[in-house]
Amino acid sequence: MTADQLKISHSAIIEDLIDSPLKVNLMELGFLPGKKITLQFKAPSNGPLAFLLENTLLALRKQEAALLQVKIIS
Amino acid sequence: MAQTQPPFLTKPLKIALIGNPNVGKTTIFNQLTGLNQKIGNYPGVTVDKKTGAMIYQEQVYHIIDLPGTYSLYPNSEDEIIAHRVLNQLSEIEKPDFALMIIDSVQLSRGLFLATQLIDLGLNLAIALNMADMAEKSQLEIKTYELFKQLGVPILQTDARHLKGMDQIKELIHQQNFTNPGPFIEAKEFLDNSQLQDVKEYFELSNDYQAYQILRFGLKDKGLSEEKRSWIRKKLETLTINLEAAQLEETKIRYKRITEVIEKVLVKKSHQEVGSAPLDKIFLHPVLGYLVFGGILLLIFQAIFAWASVPMDLIDGFFADLGAWLSSTLPAGPISDLLSEGVIPGIGGVVIFIPQIALLFGFLAILEDTGYMSRVVFLMDRWMRPFGLHGKSIVPLVSGVACAIPGVMAARNIGNWKEKIITIMVTPLMSCSARLPVYIILIGLVVPDEAIFGIFNLQALTLLALYLLGVIGVLVTAFGLKSILKTSEKSFLMVELPSYRTPRWKDVLLTMYYKSRTFVTEAGKVILAISIILWILGSYGPPSQMDAVREIQEEKLAAASSEKQIAEIEAETSSLLLENSFIGILGRGIEPVIKPLGYDWKIGIALIASFAAREVFVSTIATIYSIGGDVEDDLTIREKLDTQINSNTGEKTFNKPTAFSLMVFYVFAMQCMSTLAIVYRETKGWKWPLIQTVYMTALAYFAALLTYNIFS
Repeated sequence: MTADQLKISHSAIIEDLIDSPLKVNLMELGFLPGKKITLQFKAPSNGPLAFLLENTLLALRKQEAALLQVKIIS
Repeated sequence: MAQTQPPFLTKPLKIALIGNPNVGKTTIFNQLTGLNQKIGNYPGVTVDKKTGAMIYQEQVYHIIDLPGTYSLYPNSEDEIIAHRVLNQLSEIEKPDFALMIIDSVQLSRGLFLATQLIDLGLNLAIALNMADMAEKSQLEIKTYELFKQLGVPILQTDARHLKGMDQIKELIHQQNFTNPGPFIEAKEFLDNSQLQDVKEYFELSNDYQAYQILRFGLKDKGLSEEKRSWIRKKLETLTINLEAAQLEETKIRYKRITEVIEKVLVKKSHQEVGSAPLDKIFLHPVLGYLVFGGILLLIFQAIFAWASVPMDLIDGFFADLGAWLSSTLPAGPISDLLSEGVIPGIGGVVIFIPQIALLFGFLAILEDTGYMSRVVFLMDRWMRPFGLHGKSIVPLVSGVACAIPGVMAARNIGNWKEKIITIMVTPLMSCSARLPVYIILIGLVVPDEAIFGIFNLQALTLLALYLLGVIGVLVTAFGLKSILKTSEKSFLMVELPSYRTPRWKDVLLTMYYKSRTFVTEAGKVILAISIILWILGSYGPPSQMDAVREIQEEKLAAASSEKQIAEIEAETSSLLLENSFIGILGRGIEPVIKPLGYDWKIGIALIASFAAREVFVSTIATIYSIGGDVEDDLTIREKLDTQINSNTGEKTFNKPTAFSLMVFYVFAMQCMSTLAIVYRETKGWKWPLIQTVYMTALAYFAALLTYNIFS
């Protein structure tokens, strides 16, 4: 599954990043395979998602979150 | 490396400050340079070039504050500048040393950029900032171990609490910067045999620089066309997949950084740090928006309440200065030019400072506390259908007070298309300068009555005008979205930083420097247009002007009472304006504005108020020879109510005409300060001209429609 499908307060481990021009941008922010992310907040009506990644809250649009292939851990 | 600067060295050393966004870089820059800052421009981009002088031990050091970036991969204009300066592509801005600021809590992300800088061959030192936050998060960084791993001098600082600033100064003074050699060799992620001629052509010392130039050089329009075409040619023959190399570089770099971090970072507690409790409210799907609305209301309340005091003072001061000059200097064209053209022109620039300073003060507080990116998070979804970005909300909201700081705030938007759309629509928000025009016209034609017992009709009309502006914004943005083409992909990746109390010194410095930028950059254009408009308004064909003066002087000689004299004087200024070049222009455009319900007198006011909307009121006052105190709304209103349109024989300011005028002012550009600032922000006359033509056309047709609906 991809990170945009996570439910609030669910955590997941990033398995891979789907190829796209934004892949490097995600990686430089720290979205790397093996890292744990937790979905903390959702803006209403399919708005951006806020993930907790190693002490930082990072907001992505759904389309960018869909580039993160993840495995749910809790 | 520890050596003191030889005394004969006259050229100051240049130190570039670099770091991720939100790491406290600006605070450190402010602490090092204080009021010795200069804001200039980088060629080819709209990024502010922030430089400052640091004076320490009687030596002067040149500090360059580079825009925050996560990596050397440039995505926005900001990052192109960081890329250009750090790759030493620009001879003028070439730094001698780089000081990398890292957020101690975000060590791995900071090291990503830091190790890229090492690989570029820069002489580097690292300041681990926000030491207090690391402590709170139960993190300990073994700095000596980090120094051993990277081979670069390391400092621990806490800029918010002013800790470690002297150590930074001392480090710069000692020139304690080193380059330990590559953290990663370029050959680990690409075939470096093809980079040899790049190194020779650009006179580079290492492969990583060559790779950076090949990969990103074309993004930088500051590079000469000769060099760009060389890169283009080289790229055609290259067999390396640079994008794949970049991904590979990123992976290897993070892998090695993770190894370093395992050695230097001690987590004293394994409890996970969650997000701030405040976010449960601020990012709440309902409460979040209510809080945002409340904050906006507070800010506008403050701006309208606080800015009006200094604005009235400035207004009064320049009026007095003008009057004093005209009474002191010998009468003549020079005295008139100074007292009626130049001084009011300067006053027209300075009058915006309270609003600009306050608005930027509030924006700085919101930014500094970390709240602003929450707003971006909440609003992005509602902006996107209109081709705007979550970050567009700041300019749009500022536009309600004044479009100038709004347009200036649009530069934070990385995507070109979204930035242009934001700049194009921000002046359509009803700013505070439209308010006097609205108020006088509403007072003329809308009865001061309540409907349904509670809603005041006049207040409702005012609200409708503001809403009309917002509709104009959305429709225009939507239209531009489908017209403008870009290959850039829009994305939102934004950090929601931890909440912090604002640093007042930084807030004050932002207010100061933003106001100064406005005065120095836009001021010239505004002053020039004011003077031109003044000349057009005070001079006309000599034969006509002299005839008016003669007749009026005769009348004046015959006048008996003071009241009569005042009336004649008011009539004189009205007649002179009528016969001036602006008067002639006003008559000239009458056929065009007649369908809107305006006569040539209103035409004159339209032309004169091109400088600034609020001039409409004072011009109308002059042209209808109201005289006396033009600040008194009631006098103007009563006089205007009795005016008869020479074309129709009806009241000039009847309902259709007044509503038509209100709608015209909702949409029309009518503000040269905005024009000047759009020119500055878009680096050319193309967009401000398109914008003026578009807004004027929109205003014209909307006013035409309004006139026909009401008549």
